[in-house]
Amino acid sequence: MKIFVVGAGQVGATVVEALHSEHDLTLIDLDPGRLSALSNRYELRPVQGNAASRRVLQEAGLVDGALFIACTSRDETNIVAAMFAKRLAPEITTIVRTTREEYVEIWRERELEIDHVVSTELETAHAVSRLIGVPAARQTDIFAEGQVQMVEFDVEEGAQADVVGLPLRRAEIPPDSKVASIIRGDRTIVPRGDESIEPGDRIVVIGSPEAARAWSQLLSRSDRAVDDVVIVGAGETGVAIARLLLEQQIRVRMLEADAARAREVAELLPEVRVFHTSGLEQDFIERERIGHARAAILAMPEDAKNLYAATLAKLHGVRFTVAIVHDPLAADVFERAGVDVAVNPRTVTAEEIVRFAHDPRVLQLSMLEGDRFEVLDITVREDSALCGKAFRELPMTGSLIGAIVRDGRAIFPHGDDMLQPGDRAIIFTESSRVPQVERAL
Amino acid sequence: MAVRSARVSSVVPRRAVGVDIGGALNLVGAMLRYLALAFLFPTGIALGYGEPVWPFLASGAITAVAGFGLERITTGRDRIGAREGFFVVSVTWLLAALFVSLPYLFAEPQLRHPVDAYFEAMSGMTTTGASVLTDIPALDHSVAMWRQLSQWLGGMGIIVLAVAVLPRLRVGGRQLMEYEAPGPELEPLAASIRATARRLWFLYLGLTGAMILVLTVVAYTGLDEAMTFYEAVAHALTTLPTGGFSTRARSIEEFGAVSQWVIAVFMVVAGANFALTYRALVRGQLRAPIRDEELRLYLGLLALASIVLFLDLVREGIHTGEEAVRHAVFQASSIMTTTGYASVDFAVLWTGLAALVLVMLMFVGGSAGSTGGAIKPIRILLTGRILRRELDQTVHPEAVLPIRFNGLVVHERTLRAIGAFVLLYLAVFAVGALVIAIDSGRADLNVGAFDAIAAAATTIGNVGPAFGFAGPMGSFEPFSPLSKVVMIVLMWMGRLELIPIAVLFTRSYWRA
Repeated sequence: MKIFVVGAGQVGATVVEALHSEHDLTLIDLDPGRLSALSNRYELRPVQGNAASRRVLQEAGLVDGALFIACTSRDETNIVAAMFAKRLAPEITTIVRTTREEYVEIWRERELEIDHVVSTELETAHAVSRLIGVPAARQTDIFAEGQVQMVEFDVEEGAQADVVGLPLRRAEIPPDSKVASIIRGDRTIVPRGDESIEPGDRIVVIGSPEAARAWSQLLSRSDRAVDDVVIVGAGETGVAIARLLLEQQIRVRMLEADAARAREVAELLPEVRVFHTSGLEQDFIERERIGHARAAILAMPEDAKNLYAATLAKLHGVRFTVAIVHDPLAADVFERAGVDVAVNPRTVTAEEIVRFAHDPRVLQLSMLEGDRFEVLDITVREDSALCGKAFRELPMTGSLIGAIVRDGRAIFPHGDDMLQPGDRAIIFTESSRVPQVERAL
Repeated sequence: MAVRSARVSSVVPRRAVGVDIGGALNLVGAMLRYLALAFLFPTGIALGYGEPVWPFLASGAITAVAGFGLERITTGRDRIGAREGFFVVSVTWLLAALFVSLPYLFAEPQLRHPVDAYFEAMSGMTTTGASVLTDIPALDHSVAMWRQLSQWLGGMGIIVLAVAVLPRLRVGGRQLMEYEAPGPELEPLAASIRATARRLWFLYLGLTGAMILVLTVVAYTGLDEAMTFYEAVAHALTTLPTGGFSTRARSIEEFGAVSQWVIAVFMVVAGANFALTYRALVRGQLRAPIRDEELRLYLGLLALASIVLFLDLVREGIHTGEEAVRHAVFQASSIMTTTGYASVDFAVLWTGLAALVLVMLMFVGGSAGSTGGAIKPIRILLTGRILRRELDQTVHPEAVLPIRFNGLVVHERTLRAIGAFVLLYLAVFAVGALVIAIDSGRADLNVGAFDAIAAAATTIGNVGPAFGFAGPMGSFEPFSPLSKVVMIVLMWMGRLELIPIAVLFTRSYWRA
């Protein structure tokens, strides 16, 4: 597929990284330095120039493009570029990254001539709120209209013995779920019945949402659900997260250092209790019993402050901390330092954008462990060689079918079940095997 | 040194007065001119009943001449400034009451004393309903009806009327109406303030007409022997403005149960927000009124007070059955909406507890945007929320807690104004009660502490009856002229909700 990517920043780089091996990429950016940094590493065609210019787009050969991804950090550039692209090549699919929820609303009202809008704030908020729903999770994603959930867990010391340390065929695994992968250090194990989960492992589970919650209870030290969340930083992202948590009936408290913004958010969200404070004072944290909160989300614009606040929250007894990080290299540092999950808005955005670049049969996609693994949602072709075979007869490869959706209902397959044409298969696979999987099905 | 003295001398010339008094008076004159037309109504009644016509014609002529004269000797502006607005509203009401008092001076022996005449006129214009008359049935029909009409005019407000008809108030009229309208904020019913004013008057007229109709039906179907068309008109004119003047010596007690119920219902309507009534009756929108927090509090307090009064009346065996329900509901409605009618002499017959409940109701008043006076449920509601927030804030100093009304955030500025209003209201009331108590003691009148409190509360709240000799069947006549002047001021300040008048007494108002 011929894909045009506008913007060689963090989001652009992540998108390029995920797509370069399978597609014909053209990267457009104003900055020659950033362009060459990426074009040296990946196979792509760099175009230096302003994408919000028709001439530049024309000269880049847009006319026969299939997909146009505008993901610079400037909303207006993205929108203008995508609108020009649509004019030049009416068949092209346009994706625009935006940081303003207003544009998403306008797009939903069909007032923007753009095919897809991906909002950094909303995607981040979704990523965070999914985590809050499943406390022990590092990352989670939902497929098949919410019927299938993929969760990545860290198995810690002290997790319940029903599943840990036992061969999987004897372990009491929650029904309607499957262990898709065990990651032990640098090694990845596609689990067979005689494999066991050990403390220190990181596992990927695919199953029903109920099963995901059951796993969360098995693996987290506390079995209580999150019902009281503190969000530090009431920016656009913080507010978007608060909205989603409120929808889940979770009590939300927000801390905001800027008086005017605090007031604005307090007026905007009557159900949220807003505090005008940096959230970093010992005194305040004790007085307001911030430590009693089940989870703390650190959504300030500065990474360092988020890390500090997360550590402070941990010190005061908050069990689960999620930090928003903007520096791509900081995520690891944060997690080493004790933040339970670090969410990078740009990665989340890139992930969402990459979903659109896959085979049109592929409905959804999620990336794990950077981009080592992907989860695909593929509709099975009629002439697929795998149709009509029982699951136990399928060859063991680096891929696993976690669930199938038949007539709109999710089935969690056992050895005797068979794939049928038209089924939607939720597949966990190594990224390098994606083209093979797509071909096989 | 030289430079410095030069700088000082540039300050030395006295600053000019910062208020355009001429322009303000010009507008007052223009409005008073129209008041002259109101005198035609009692003139017609006097003709019909064969009573002297000249007091009204003379008063009308004086009013017109004064209005035109004032307009002549001053220069008007095409728009009135925000600052001049306070002056215009305050002075208009003072002068309007003065002209309304003229027929009393000319024609009514009981009101020969200028203070008495002015008291009766101010009580009428401000829809208070307190009276210095001792023999109401002795009044000519035309004078009695003039009293009733003065309340009707004052109810919706002369400024609102002026905005509706005066072309020059198209700009700046909103400000004036804000100062006059009861409640913290004026709710617009139409895009232009002029159209809003017209709709309010249209609704007011319509409701008055409806009440006349209902009472007339009651009269002609024989449901109430005492009711006549004349009484229907007279009492409709003083119910919708929550006025309380009656043509009868013993107020509403003289009418039958059916009439009393009808009047009670219309009092409750008159004490509710006209904007909500307009929406419900004219536009058929019922959702907004049902969900309105002030309306709920208003009706809730009315119900609560009625129940307490009912239980007290029954327990003490003062009334029983339907009678107890009727008097409890009627009196709670009458006092809380600041109408001031009496279906029974509660000052004499009822208990101390009932008296206390009634005096407390005098502070509540009708809703914002109604014709009722006093503090108003919306201010009580928001004051409660301010207090609750203060307590919350004491425990959580960093919490940001906007206050909402009907789901919308109320500006901090508005909240401050409400707090200031409530404090000022209580302060002015306290001073008034004190002066009345001291002055009555000096004049050897039988006025107890409770009576003085009730007299101040009833006048600043524009209610009407007090306790003691100034009870619902009594008269304010025995009070000394000084006390009467104090009460006139209380009525005037209460009607305009203190602030427009109070600012006139600040130095910064007059500075450029």
